[in-house]
Amino acid sequence: MLADAIAAERFRLSRDRTALFWGFGFAPLVAMLFSMAIDLFTRAVLHRTIPGETTDLANRAMGAVAGASGPFTALFLLIGAAAIFAGDYRWETWRLLTPRNSRVNLLVAKLIVFAEVAAWSLLLTAVTAALAGLFSSLVNHARLVAPPGGSVVMGHFAGVFVITWLEVMLVGALAGLVGVVTRSTMGAVIAGLVVVFVQSTLAATMQATTWKSLAIPAYAGRILKAFVAAPDEMRPEAGPAGLGLLLLLAWLVVLAGGAVALFRRQDLTKE
Amino acid sequence: MSFALETESLVKTYGAVRALDGLSLRIPAGGVFGVLGPNGAGKSTLFRIALGLVRPTSGTARLFGAPAGQASSLRRAGAMIETPRYPPYLTARDVLKMLAMESGAVGSADIDYWLERVGLGGAADRKAGTFSVGMKQRLGLAAAFFTRPELVILDEPTSGMDPAGIQEIRALIRDLADKEGVTIILASHQLDEVRRVCDRVAIFSKGKLAAEGDVEALTGGKPRLRLTVSPADKALAVLGAKGQPDGPNAVLADVLRAETPALIRALVEAGVEITEARWREADLESAYLGALEPKDLVDAR
Repeated sequence: MLADAIAAERFRLSRDRTALFWGFGFAPLVAMLFSMAIDLFTRAVLHRTIPGETTDLANRAMGAVAGASGPFTALFLLIGAAAIFAGDYRWETWRLLTPRNSRVNLLVAKLIVFAEVAAWSLLLTAVTAALAGLFSSLVNHARLVAPPGGSVVMGHFAGVFVITWLEVMLVGALAGLVGVVTRSTMGAVIAGLVVVFVQSTLAATMQATTWKSLAIPAYAGRILKAFVAAPDEMRPEAGPAGLGLLLLLAWLVVLAGGAVALFRRQDLTKE
Repeated sequence: MSFALETESLVKTYGAVRALDGLSLRIPAGGVFGVLGPNGAGKSTLFRIALGLVRPTSGTARLFGAPAGQASSLRRAGAMIETPRYPPYLTARDVLKMLAMESGAVGSADIDYWLERVGLGGAADRKAGTFSVGMKQRLGLAAAFFTRPELVILDEPTSGMDPAGIQEIRALIRDLADKEGVTIILASHQLDEVRRVCDRVAIFSKGKLAAEGDVEALTGGKPRLRLTVSPADKALAVLGAKGQPDGPNAVLADVLRAETPALIRALVEAGVEITEARWREADLESAYLGALEPKDLVDAR
């Protein structure tokens, strides 16, 4: 049953502390430490303060989450995803698992567990960004302020969170597909990173919002995040955002479905 | 009779290599069934097909009557294929716990009992990745048995083990087959192990079945007296139906040990010179080598 496969995969990942730390914890933590170090440096070494400065914790958290689908974070997410999706090739452990549950369940369980842990990682990103903001306000004597719009911000934050999570899921599904094809953790990381880097570069060069530019996940993600995070009166048109969402979902289905379909028929001679 | 594993014209090719070449085999439920053959004879490929790890090119394989690789029949089987490996971050207990979860058998799997039974009680909380080959084999055996399957497939289960461990595992295999009714299919290169543990044996050669039968039948059953004599034809005349030639100057006598003095007396009285007499034990090696083509033996070296 799928529930058994999910429980087993979750248990296993809980024991793989290296993958958990480097894949899902390192990037948020290092971003927080880096931000704190900058604050300390500007305050203690440069003795610089900005009079009247304020700190908006919610905005900082939302900004950090929105940026969590970039190439820097993707590198670490790919390390975690490769451990989940290609670890059984590396350790030759498919032969222990495939006789105990269906192949579809085994791979879908990996996707679901990756989705869970990616969501936790994004939440950690938000929390560490808020902590870094708090530290900054203490060091720089900056006043903490509530975001304009009050409770609406929670909706914006949720929207940005979901869109970024979708982008991260694409990275995971890509690692899954490449992991199955190459049977290698290194292959999943390197090929995944190349794809993420290329599409981020392409997205940065795109001028007009067309279906072609929206087919680049990083561009679609940017448009979608701008759409959900902007106040109502400043929102761009909903049309491109809707198409972008559809294309993101289509990519997810193609990559995850491709991985499952290939794995179903794959000969596991020497994993 | 019900069959644990049946194959019909089973073929598996890897590029130009024909790992299984029309294998038809029926392994009955119950007892210990040995699979012998040189490296590359197709033993592991058969097991991998039975467990759904690889897909046959053509032909059929059925596990308990259902197509091999189907989840329903796989739940009735346990296996250890070649030397098992484990993720380095899992302890021996974690490995079994994870596999129990995967099978949906967390409640019924007695993890500590099986770790003790295979001699890993003291190493249950050690990382399995740091185990010696023999300890990995033991954990693999626990993983194969601990969900109490009806069929267990073991590929070289005692390789890398010390002599005491080998004896212990052989006893465990026999015990499970005799007392708990588990069907065990065992591949091994150790002919003595197969002779001691198995009830029936199949010998594979180049992906085909070269011989199959009861161990006793294949080995000739009981020990026979080998006599180096001259002239051999006169000795065969004295032995009658109980004798058979074994080379130019030797005969094999199918007699009881108690009959030996009388037989030797009769041969000497008939004018046969005897230069050597010794008992030859039941010999699976001869059956094994006899079933293989000379080229198999060269290829296997």
